Amino acid sequence: MEDGKLARGPMIAITLLRVLVGWHFLYEGIAKITSPSWSAAGYLKQARGPFADIFRWLAAQPDLLAAADSITMWGLTLVGVLLILGLFTRLASLGGIGFILLFYLCNPPFVGLFYSIPVEGSYLIVNKNLVELGALIVVLASGSGVFAGLDTLVHAVLGRKRKTG
Amino acid sequence: MGLESPAWTAGVKRFSHEAMATVFEVQALHPDATYAAQAAHAAFDLVDRLERELTRFLPNSDVGRINALAAGQSTRVSPSTMDCLLVARQMYDVTGGAFDVSIGTGLPSLELAADESRVRASTGGVRIDLGGIGKGHAVDLMGELLEDWGIEAAVVHGGFSSVLALGAPAAQEGWPLTLSDPGPPIRVLVRLARRDTALGASGVRKGGHIVDPRTGKPAAGRRAAWAVLPRQAAHERSQAGCGGPRRAAAAAADALATAFMLMRLRDIGALCAASPGLEAWVLPEPARSGGPPEALHFGTPGSS
Amino acid sequence: MAGDDEKDKVAVPPRPAGGRKLDRRDVLKGLSTVPALGLFGYAWQKQRQYEQAAAGTEQAAAAGDVQDVHVALLGAGAQGQVLTDAMLRIPGVRFRAVCDVWAEYNQRRVVNQLQRFGFQVNAYEDYREMLDKEKELDAVVIATPDFWHAPHAVDCLKAGKHVYCEKEMSNTLEGARAMVAAARETGKLLQIGHQRRSNPRYLHCYRHLLGEAKLLGRIVTVSGQWNRAVTPDLGAPERYTIPEARLKQYGFKNMHQFRNWRWYKGLGGGPIVDLGSHQIDIYTWFLGANPSHVMASGGQLYYDPATHEWYDTAMVVFDYDTPAGPVKAYYQTQTTNGSLGYFENFMGDQGTLLISESEVHAAKVYRDTNAPPWDEWVQKGYITAPKLQEAVEKDKAAVTDVRESVSPDEHKVPIVLKDPYHQPHLQNFFDAVRGSATLNCPPEIGYESAVAVLKVNDAIEAKSRLSFTPEDFAL
Ligand SMILES: NC(=O)c1ccc[n+]([C@@H]2O[C@H](COP(=O)([O-])OP(=O)(O)OC[C@H]3O[C@@H](n4cnc5c(N)ncnc54)[C@H](O)[C@@H]3O)[C@@H](O)[C@H]2O)c1
Repeated sequence: MEDGKLARGPMIAITLLRVLVGWHFLYEGIAKITSPSWSAAGYLKQARGPFADIFRWLAAQPDLLAAADSITMWGLTLVGVLLILGLFTRLASLGGIGFILLFYLCNPPFVGLFYSIPVEGSYLIVNKNLVELGALIVVLASGSGVFAGLDTLVHAVLGRKRKTG
Repeated sequence: MGLESPAWTAGVKRFSHEAMATVFEVQALHPDATYAAQAAHAAFDLVDRLERELTRFLPNSDVGRINALAAGQSTRVSPSTMDCLLVARQMYDVTGGAFDVSIGTGLPSLELAADESRVRASTGGVRIDLGGIGKGHAVDLMGELLEDWGIEAAVVHGGFSSVLALGAPAAQEGWPLTLSDPGPPIRVLVRLARRDTALGASGVRKGGHIVDPRTGKPAAGRRAAWAVLPRQAAHERSQAGCGGPRRAAAAAADALATAFMLMRLRDIGALCAASPGLEAWVLPEPARSGGPPEALHFGTPGSS
Repeated sequence: MAGDDEKDKVAVPPRPAGGRKLDRRDVLKGLSTVPALGLFGYAWQKQRQYEQAAAGTEQAAAAGDVQDVHVALLGAGAQGQVLTDAMLRIPGVRFRAVCDVWAEYNQRRVVNQLQRFGFQVNAYEDYREMLDKEKELDAVVIATPDFWHAPHAVDCLKAGKHVYCEKEMSNTLEGARAMVAAARETGKLLQIGHQRRSNPRYLHCYRHLLGEAKLLGRIVTVSGQWNRAVTPDLGAPERYTIPEARLKQYGFKNMHQFRNWRWYKGLGGGPIVDLGSHQIDIYTWFLGANPSHVMASGGQLYYDPATHEWYDTAMVVFDYDTPAGPVKAYYQTQTTNGSLGYFENFMGDQGTLLISESEVHAAKVYRDTNAPPWDEWVQKGYITAPKLQEAVEKDKAAVTDVRESVSPDEHKVPIVLKDPYHQPHLQNFFDAVRGSATLNCPPEIGYESAVAVLKVNDAIEAKSRLSFTPEDFAL
């Protein structure tokens, strides 16, 4: 790796990673949209840890909650589609990182905190959310959308107006 | 909790039955053994019926249906489930959320319409588990059934942690009961003689822990707690417009014992002072040095 | 937006300052991950189909404006109370009256319960008085002891009411026949309380697993049981003892017989009729045929024969000539040990169906190793994916690995009942009263079931194999 460039092999691997994470986001979003009764309230009320109060407060505000619900389900879906297509990849990665960070902070597996609904697996500080967040950082840093994705086309078309610094 | 056995207890007939993942027992003083057995079994049938309504493991139980409610949906429950939920809600309020059958998932967003026995969820995702109050609720109703059968002196308990002393043996001030340090070593801390009184016990058994629904952290620093509430006091509470069913003494004591594992001592003291007849014992974990701890006592015995 | 990519040096060919035309390579690279989206769409659609299939049977009748049905309960005992609880959850059911001879206890309890739900009901001790006075009634729900079913149902039908009558339809075949005749004569509905006939789990297995998918292949044997632990005889609170004159008037010798009528000849039919009738009805339903022979052994093995006139234990074998071929079906009920509770087990040459009303067993199907794969039915959501057998590492040199025997694939039947057990059957009855459904257990079915079940007691008494003729089932 030289001059920030990655070889073809790693780029293919990262693109695969991007599509997998995108797939997961997309289904998380779509599953929520298609379930008539889904609301973030349940999850928020289970909040644990240093920010628990904020999340619980949010769950108790009907208007804010409704907004949070739509943002979550449509946001996840959009991020998922964009990651799979490799369109506006960096923005999508940042969005994804934002969502995961919120999920993580809502129920962080910190020492001494128990989630009242049993979860599979065993976690200490690092859980699968955090790993997925790491994956998105890799995607963000690599610009995989330009390697394989619609960003290639966006670039080619908009390239004229952009002057490389 | 334990029951002491002086000489006169020879006349006590004991019947037991497995339900709600524990053993229920009826100890009755009645001259006719067959009749006492029939009464006890009628009480056990009742427990089985209540378990089918209260279990969270059956999708078609009252609790199973409540736990499946989405925002805005409602479901009808049996009147006895409604009674149990009303006490649960009342205990949530008086303990500042330390006793919470929803374990932090939002009990207040379940609306309880008692007149039509309907539960409505104003938000989705509320999950309740009546494990901390169901045994007491069952014991209350078993007590009423036994009285209906004309059994005047009996002790009913669900797994020893929820106890109801009905009447008293002839010429006794009350049923002799003990509160013990779960140990090791097990030792008797308090001896009581009570009649028409409910007792609830909560403690840290091997490996288990009680999670504070307000913080998600496990209870620390206490080994066991007890709540003692005369039936008359529970009755007056409900008369005084506090809501809840007529005689939910054991349900309330069951719930309060759990809360007393978590509440600040000063809040426990204040609650006992404000609730005539309610008593609490709290057993702290032993200090690193020094002898075995003594149970702290709050409240004053009610007149029964 | 593309500004995000400014620093992007990866794999982007240096751009000519004036932009450039898209070449084929760009387009290919740009679209290279689009197929993943297509794949997602395909997988999602499959998932939706699966979810819909699984949810299909659960769709409850849409609660809109429903026509009120005015109802009386006749018999407010243990089962009357269970039915009341279930009916309280059905929209449009209006309680008008409760009739029970035990005015001091059962009647009062149900009246209080209904009052809590805002129903001001009239209470009666004599059902004839109720039928005379309650002119508004549309339907009567009967849960009295078996020997009262025929007189109660016949009189209610003749008074112009639709009737839901608990099983066993009657303790005698004459009684059952009179009920069929009364229903036909009056044109009123008569539903017999074999509630499994409306249970979504049983309906799913009957329609989809046995009917459409024929998962079991040819069913050759059936077994089933209802085992109960020892219980003391039922008693009653002393203060609510019924005066002797009233007991006599309603056909009971004393309080003990009044509470334990099931065990007495002429009143009930013992455990085989009380418990077995539910499950033997399922044998007949799932096999699509009435039995041709029955042999049985049983007796009064444990309880005091003076107060337990019927057999506390019964072991029965039925022969069936089904359209697919002969079947032998075993059934046992005993009342001294509750081990394994109650279930029915259908065994065919390609698989086994274990089904029960209770959640302990729920329903499971086991595939015979030689049967064709069931993937199609798993994908359709009819059954769950099998519990995985531990994979065996194949040793190329060995033909087989000798070890503990493998059990066949176990699939669950993903149908959950969200309502109390009797609610769907009552719902079916009220829908039929409103004209929007047909009865799942009309009197003809209840009758056939009674013929098969009542004969078991005859066979135990005769100590020989008895045969059924088609005329036995004809009405
Ligand atoms: N479908 C099921 O799952 C199921 C379950 C249990 C019982 N059952 C059936 O329900 C019926 C009742 O059983 P149970 O267990 O409730 O019995 P039970 O003895 O508890 O109740 C019978 C009630 O009928 C009343 N009664 C008796 N004769 C009467 C009369 N002539 N008029 C009015 N009331 C009268 C009695 O006072 C009593 O309250 C039986 O036919 C039984 O087979 C069905």
